Amino acid sequence: MPDKFVTTYDHTVGERLPHFRSLSGIEYKRIYDEKCWNKKLPDAGEYPFTRGIYKDMYRSRLWTRRQQSGFGTPEESNELLKFLFKMGQTGINIDSDIASKLGLDPDYPLAQADVGLQGTSMCTYEDMTVLFKDIPIDRISTTLIFPPPSSAVMMAQYLLMAEERGIPAYQLQGTIMNCPFTQLVGPTYQANTAFFPIDVALEIGLDLVEYLLKVAPRWNVLNVNSRNIRECGVDAVWEAAFGISLGMDYVRRLIRRGLHVDSFAQRIGFFCAVHMDLFEEVAKFRAMRRIWARVMKEIFGAKSEKSMQFRCAVQTSSLTFTAQEPLNNIVRASIQTLAAILSGVQSIHTTCYDEAYCLPTEKAQKLALRTQEILAYETGCAKVVDPLGGSYFLEALTDELEEKIWELVKDIEKRGGFIECFKSGFVENVLNEARYRFAEQIESGELPIVGLNIFRDEEANTDIEIFTQRPDMQRQRIEYAINYKNKKGRDSAFRALKDLYLATKRVPRENLVLPIMEATRQRATLQEICDAMRDALGFEIPH
Amino acid sequence: MDGVTKKRIIMAKMGLDAHDNALRIVSKWLKDSGYEIIYAGLYNSPEKILKMVIEEDADAIGLSFHGGEHLYHTSRLIELLKTHNLTHIKIFVGGIIAPFDVEKLKKMGVSAVFTPGSRKEDILNVIKKSFDEN
Repeated sequence: MPDKFVTTYDHTVGERLPHFRSLSGIEYKRIYDEKCWNKKLPDAGEYPFTRGIYKDMYRSRLWTRRQQSGFGTPEESNELLKFLFKMGQTGINIDSDIASKLGLDPDYPLAQADVGLQGTSMCTYEDMTVLFKDIPIDRISTTLIFPPPSSAVMMAQYLLMAEERGIPAYQLQGTIMNCPFTQLVGPTYQANTAFFPIDVALEIGLDLVEYLLKVAPRWNVLNVNSRNIRECGVDAVWEAAFGISLGMDYVRRLIRRGLHVDSFAQRIGFFCAVHMDLFEEVAKFRAMRRIWARVMKEIFGAKSEKSMQFRCAVQTSSLTFTAQEPLNNIVRASIQTLAAILSGVQSIHTTCYDEAYCLPTEKAQKLALRTQEILAYETGCAKVVDPLGGSYFLEALTDELEEKIWELVKDIEKRGGFIECFKSGFVENVLNEARYRFAEQIESGELPIVGLNIFRDEEANTDIEIFTQRPDMQRQRIEYAINYKNKKGRDSAFRALKDLYLATKRVPRENLVLPIMEATRQRATLQEICDAMRDALGFEIPH
Repeated sequence: MDGVTKKRIIMAKMGLDAHDNALRIVSKWLKDSGYEIIYAGLYNSPEKILKMVIEEDADAIGLSFHGGEHLYHTSRLIELLKTHNLTHIKIFVGGIIAPFDVEKLKKMGVSAVFTPGSRKEDILNVIKKSFDEN
């Protein structure tokens, strides 16, 4: 096997893989037998849930097909949602543009080129109502991808919309991701601290958890996004260890607020990556379920089995995609989707093949959904619970991964937990080392990627349909935000913002969700609300 | 590379896009090859980059884009450099950039555009060559 990029292959010699290690570096044996694993497995639905958190898994109900979607204006994204439902999507996953995630309106100077590009542009209550126009929010579950403090504003808008439609909050089903560390490009320090003080963002997220547990008990209040950590280049073991450690930090902080672990644990979920090493990925999810169950029972004293269940949504990896021969990405996404199904996850987003170029086209979105549908209905892979369970190889690998993940979790705990590691720069160092190693593995050929560093075809056709935004979309959104804020008669909004400002300043600080709710009700914009808090904290943002 | 003639390159992302995997990797490759890297990181405006170019006496700017903001920010930066008679500053752009925008960037005055899958060796060669041509 060559150690550099190759464009041709010597057909006169037999092919041999460059090594027999997993993506996380585990050396695979030639063959696995009873000497490697001869234990007994508890049934699916039984603690520690290695084989799945429900007894019947997909025989009872298929996973939710939840494509992350959103672009341009709320009107455009509303059309996209309707299209995806028509094609068989079963849950909503709303991604906003970065400005909305950072608590900025479209007219903020540094935001203007990013408006609506990587998700929907959202800043007013009316945006939320347009986005969900004709969508039955009482019958479909919605995931809103926002970090705090934007998560509190968006949740306020969503609850207000439900109220105006006559839907009680306790009926609502969905998830607010609500994590200030992992929503923006993984837990990279600058990305997550430049637009709001991280400690206060964390507290506002926990304020929202407390509030939602009371008013919307079916709503999932926190989602630990280990997928974004993985997409920085770390391996499966680090992904799992960071995700579990961060989850533990949240549990610890909520208990410190006086909540009993069983009152909130079943409303915390995870959002994970699925990469190319099929068996390692399946083993990763089985190991994560086991570790989380033990942590919740043995460390946090959970009594309810639901509190011990590791509930998990996934998105297949974008990092594994190539711009070269983009149709190859369909194969990659299919295999990763299969890995997710064999792992027994709760919802899947299959990444579209064109995402090495742009946001997906409708055609690519449809194909991603069809991938899941073909796997679900044609292959039989969803007919048996934990279909790979009992394989010597998979069970030994699950044990090995569990041990490696747990060793790292213990190390992170010794360093004060994930959040302390984030603040100290430890997380950033691990991510940077992983990034450089990942690039080096591709350069050296240690990580073979077909069409990129092996079997590269310089003449390959990369001509695919590429999504383009409507040319006047950004101007339209910027004008909308300016006009909205210049409207007369906004006195009640300003009064509510003043109250929020004062509440943020108060010591000891109170739960900020109610003043945020009121400012939303009085039609303050996303940035106006976030700025009221920033001003009270004396926090300046880049410009 | 001779220390006396070390080229100074500002490496930055502009606007709100925070996907900096490639920016960090390419910065390391350039540093390891002997360039002086001034790592500007995320959330830069054209004005901020201009200020940095002047203060640091930089020879080039490496920009990385992920979400489609490249034409807007690059054109504004180039205009700003022109008004300050800094047209000799080289600009390299990398990231997720549709083929039809690669040509637009080059017409604006960008020295080279690197898209996903660009090889380390190729990136380093192209950058070295563009300095050698001066």
